[in-house]
Amino acid sequence: MVQELPPPPIIELIKVSKFYPPDVEALSDISFAISKGEIVYLTGMSGAGKTTLMRLVSRMEKESKGMLDVAGFDLSKLNHRNIHLLRRKVGVAYQDFKLLTDRTVADNIAISMEVVYEKKSVIEERVKNLLEQLNLSKKYDTLTEELSRGEQQRVSIARAVANNPEILLADEPTGNLDAENTARVMSLFYQLNRQGCTLLIATHDKSLYRGGGRRVMELRGGRLLSAGAAPAEHGAAAAMEA
Amino acid sequence: MRFFATVLLHTGRNLLLTWKSQLMSFFTVMLSVLIFAFFYLTYANAVHVGTEMGNDLRLVVYLDEDPPPSLQDEYRRRILKFDQVERIEFVGSKEAFDRFSKQLGSDSDVLSGVPDDFLPPSIEVYPQRSLDSLARIKRFSDYLETLPGVLKVQYGKEWIDHFHAFIQLMRIVITLSGFLLVITSTFMVAYTIRLSLFSRRKELELLRLVGATTNYIRMPFLLEGALMGLCGSAAGLFALYLLYHWIKLQFAGPALFNLVPFTFLSWPVIIAIVVAATLLCAIGSFRSTRSIQHL
Repeated sequence: MVQELPPPPIIELIKVSKFYPPDVEALSDISFAISKGEIVYLTGMSGAGKTTLMRLVSRMEKESKGMLDVAGFDLSKLNHRNIHLLRRKVGVAYQDFKLLTDRTVADNIAISMEVVYEKKSVIEERVKNLLEQLNLSKKYDTLTEELSRGEQQRVSIARAVANNPEILLADEPTGNLDAENTARVMSLFYQLNRQGCTLLIATHDKSLYRGGGRRVMELRGGRLLSAGAAPAEHGAAAAMEA
Repeated sequence: MRFFATVLLHTGRNLLLTWKSQLMSFFTVMLSVLIFAFFYLTYANAVHVGTEMGNDLRLVVYLDEDPPPSLQDEYRRRILKFDQVERIEFVGSKEAFDRFSKQLGSDSDVLSGVPDDFLPPSIEVYPQRSLDSLARIKRFSDYLETLPGVLKVQYGKEWIDHFHAFIQLMRIVITLSGFLLVITSTFMVAYTIRLSLFSRRKELELLRLVGATTNYIRMPFLLEGALMGLCGSAAGLFALYLLYHWIKLQFAGPALFNLVPFTFLSWPVIIAIVVAATLLCAIGSFRSTRSIQHL
């Protein structure tokens, strides 16, 4: 009998630690692997190290110890010259949004497609499509500084997914959203996942993953407590995914 | 093609965002080029005048007696040993008298009764024409005075000395203004670009985060620097052209420029100045954008 091999991990961390001077240990000996096409939730209290972990995976920061392999790149060997190759495969929805406040909503979303020299017509179509999905169609030409926090958050998410990344890292993606817009965002994420995108979502919101049958990893004090799957219940998450 | 369109788009955006400091740099480059090119124009015309005047330049070496052919050969050999000359002519006492008489024309009768060997014999040395002929003439004169049988060496000593000093001064001024051009072009543009980088730091960091290459971020700034050099130098040279015409108009009355040639810079020189300024500004910009790699 031939046993099917599991798909190779697209994100793999082996004994990764991150220290900040003088002696703050933000992450300690973190090891896990995420397969291509998985949706994984990262939970934990504030200061547990979720954002730090996201920053390491997107190579915004370098690990102090251990080995990180993301989308086929060994991050310890990835130099500045080639960092764009990783960043084009990894979309990130930042907790602090990182929007250009003096630019329109459309400009902010288009920026991630412009850097890969996508055609203008393709960019326009994709931007309009994303704005429609996220209930922001009327804000196309609005400056992002004029948006509410929830709207800004959705623009940041739209920018992260615009380029159809292989991996999507979302840091508290629904922190400022109401139930309706949370559902819209999650729907967009699941749609992306069905197209093969791997999702790592850092969140406090238990309703996002409870009963969804997806893997939930919990961080506490910079240590990974569990990396198993949540019980498969017919909860809110399962309903949203359906 | 899309790469160039994107670079142009970002360059335009940069220029719009920091147009005040860009304008300052533009005027600085323009002024530097104007100063440098003005001195160069003056120098080039002075050298041209010097060359024209050098065509009639000769040294007259007065001798105590007519040299026999063997001594003439010896003089010729010694002169050629010191420097290359165009030609050497020996003028005997009698020939000198005849020339003088011819010059006097109808008044030549004043020479009646005067012995035809009262004028000293001489050697007329015509140095080779070159830009340095005026500078070399003094050294040549000093050497000729050391030859045996020489009474005196004559040439337009005073004006040549002054002219030589003027040319030397112009060379120093051109070197200094060239240095000023280099400093202002590279440093001023470098600081303007740094300011531009600083004002757009948030955006550049974001571009890096969404996968932009270093070249994608850097090229608009390099183009911006090069544009400043190109436009600044072109404007500087245009201003000089206007100034040149104004000077020509001002001195048209006394017809000074009918006697002394006064021409504008040649096309190769104009192109060289524009290319040099553009390159210098691009270098200045490149220096500033090195930090982009570490975003």
